Amino acid sequence: MIRRVTGAAAGMALLAGLVACGGDNGTASEATTLTYWMFQDRTPQAGEVVEKLRTDFEKANNVTVKIVKIPKDDYNTKLGSAVAAGTVPDVGILDQPLVARYALDGTVSEMPAGTVDEKTYYAGALNTNKVNDKIYGLPLDHTAVALFHNKKLVPTPPKTWDELKQTAAKVHQDDPKIAGMVVPKGDGYGGWMWPGFLAGAGGSLVDEKDKKILFDQQPGVDALQLWVDLLPSSPRAITDSDKAFENGLAGMMISGPWDVANIKEQFPDLEFGTAPLPYKTEPAGNIGGENAVVFSKGKNPELAWKWLTFLTNADNNTALAQALGGFPTNVAAAERDAATFGPDQAAFLEQLKVAHARPALPEWIQINDEIIAPAIESALSGKVTSQQALTEAATKTRALLGWNG
Amino acid sequence: MASPVLADKPAVTPLPGRRRRPGSGRRDHVIGWLLIAPAVIYFVIFLLYPALAALYYSFTDWNLRSAPNWVGPANYFDLLFDDVRYPHFWKSIRVTLQYTLIAVPLTLVTALAQALLINTIRRGSNLFRLLLFLPVVTAEAAVGAIWRWLYDPQYGLVNSFLGLFGIPGQNWLNTPELVIPALSFIAAWQCGISMIIYLAGLKGIPDSIREAAIIDGAGPVQRFRRIVVPMLRPTTFYLLVTGVIAALQVFGLVYVIFSGGGGRSVTGGPEQSGLTYVLHLYLFAFRYDAMGAACAMSFILFLFIMIITALQFRFVKQEAS
Repeated sequence: MIRRVTGAAAGMALLAGLVACGGDNGTASEATTLTYWMFQDRTPQAGEVVEKLRTDFEKANNVTVKIVKIPKDDYNTKLGSAVAAGTVPDVGILDQPLVARYALDGTVSEMPAGTVDEKTYYAGALNTNKVNDKIYGLPLDHTAVALFHNKKLVPTPPKTWDELKQTAAKVHQDDPKIAGMVVPKGDGYGGWMWPGFLAGAGGSLVDEKDKKILFDQQPGVDALQLWVDLLPSSPRAITDSDKAFENGLAGMMISGPWDVANIKEQFPDLEFGTAPLPYKTEPAGNIGGENAVVFSKGKNPELAWKWLTFLTNADNNTALAQALGGFPTNVAAAERDAATFGPDQAAFLEQLKVAHARPALPEWIQINDEIIAPAIESALSGKVTSQQALTEAATKTRALLGWNG
Repeated sequence: MASPVLADKPAVTPLPGRRRRPGSGRRDHVIGWLLIAPAVIYFVIFLLYPALAALYYSFTDWNLRSAPNWVGPANYFDLLFDDVRYPHFWKSIRVTLQYTLIAVPLTLVTALAQALLINTIRRGSNLFRLLLFLPVVTAEAAVGAIWRWLYDPQYGLVNSFLGLFGIPGQNWLNTPELVIPALSFIAAWQCGISMIIYLAGLKGIPDSIREAAIIDGAGPVQRFRRIVVPMLRPTTFYLLVTGVIAALQVFGLVYVIFSGGGGRSVTGGPEQSGLTYVLHLYLFAFRYDAMGAACAMSFILFLFIMIITALQFRFVKQEAS
């Protein structure tokens, strides 16, 4: 494996060197070919959806769209290498938290004014493409986490934090071998979910305009303390087991819409439901999903934007978003098709209405992984209090960003 | 025959005693170079150039996208002393050293034990050799999945086995203190290559020595201590040096164990207890946008490995006795 890392680094360095000798060899015939990078299809059916969209677009515009599919785990590494080597696609998927980075150093282009009407899309999803109030991409789909509950153990899902704590305690009290809830961990993934709880207490992570850290204030402390308080009724020795919720070992868990299909397929006997995340003062949630951007060094930028507006228009966006495992970002598409998504999906749609985007800071991934996640973990393990963990994390974040507030 | 044109030239007189014809030296030279050209080209393009490029990038702030800016040795200093930008750098070193100290001896002992067993049995040694070698050729992702299941706190076979002796079950991969021992155990399970090399070493011990020892009345324990271990010393030394180098670079195992698939981020297990040096390097190279610093990390590791290896050559006995 180490060979693969050094190999990738080596190949990249090599390409970076070679490309300098390459030069531009764009020809007239290539002007009508658009290269599009996306994640590997989740299912064969998803592949058919993408294929149909591709041929429709090709026929309508008399062009060729070349689609390159890359496994999700390798995507960012491959894309980074391609950018380094100057072999970027014309247009491609980009993870939400990467948009800020790629926009700020000019790797991706700003969307030309008048390409779309901003009101076409849900604000939460479109905002994940905004950096300093400029738009650098379009949201192909969006997704959020919600509460999964085992209907036998938790017939009525809790709505508030107090109810959540009581429900979890009752489940564990009734059967000590069963955990109340799979409490998220202090890793990168938990760090992505925690802001949904923080916003549920009326808080925000940061104030980008005034350069202030806010996650160490009371809402953040309360959100982290909620997780800490849940642990006694949700022992790790139970919830760390593989698929604890699916195996009926936990009454509740937090996950995204992709797990609805997974569970139905792999655990057909499990009776479960989904509900919006419990909150303290206001309903709130996080947001994830896939954006697509146009690369500055790519060709045919106009055609590229046309392709992205095609993928996200009212006719196509529902099919595409479902193929990607999320929800349509196009308001008209979502409102027209919402009834067809099924009762299990309603909770996620509720969540998306109150979604809070991650801060558009290029350093955010590192802050999430290296500062916030360890802080969550140290509070959950009982080494420090929630307030201490977050105060320390805020200090580190200020130092890293060079902020004073 | 050399080409007649050159042979006619009187200026070059062949030295007496050496059957060297004029001109043939240069031509041999060309043929020689041609023969090794594929290897040399491969070496230069895929190893030497990237290594030199990485050395250059380690003195820049390259993030894969913008043009690299020369920053001098800042990356090296920041890695060592700036715990704001690299809060887990020293932690990753501690984790890696811990892993090396446990995994390498455990692997050597396991490999030697397996080799001795296979060397002893008369029938089916091929089958057992194959079975014990299987973990080496198993895809790393499968190894990760299997061991996550074996270490499962609820259903795991490891805990069931310990339960037979009344040892309470542990949450292996989620308890910071147990993560490195658990990973080392997997490494020892994958000791097939060392086992094969030990087996070859065992076959190389002449039967006459063993027989002489038996005649002299040496028991199996004495024979092991006084003959097998000393005679295997060159093998052990080789396995120690290569094992330490590999352990200091461990990556794939922790990556698959803690990724859980689905594009989730790998932050190195509970409280970074599994954040090995190369995993840390990988995260900075490809996730946190700091290829320059990652290149510097790889050269720090290179220097460290060189020093450790030199020390082993200096202080560890290598000769059979």
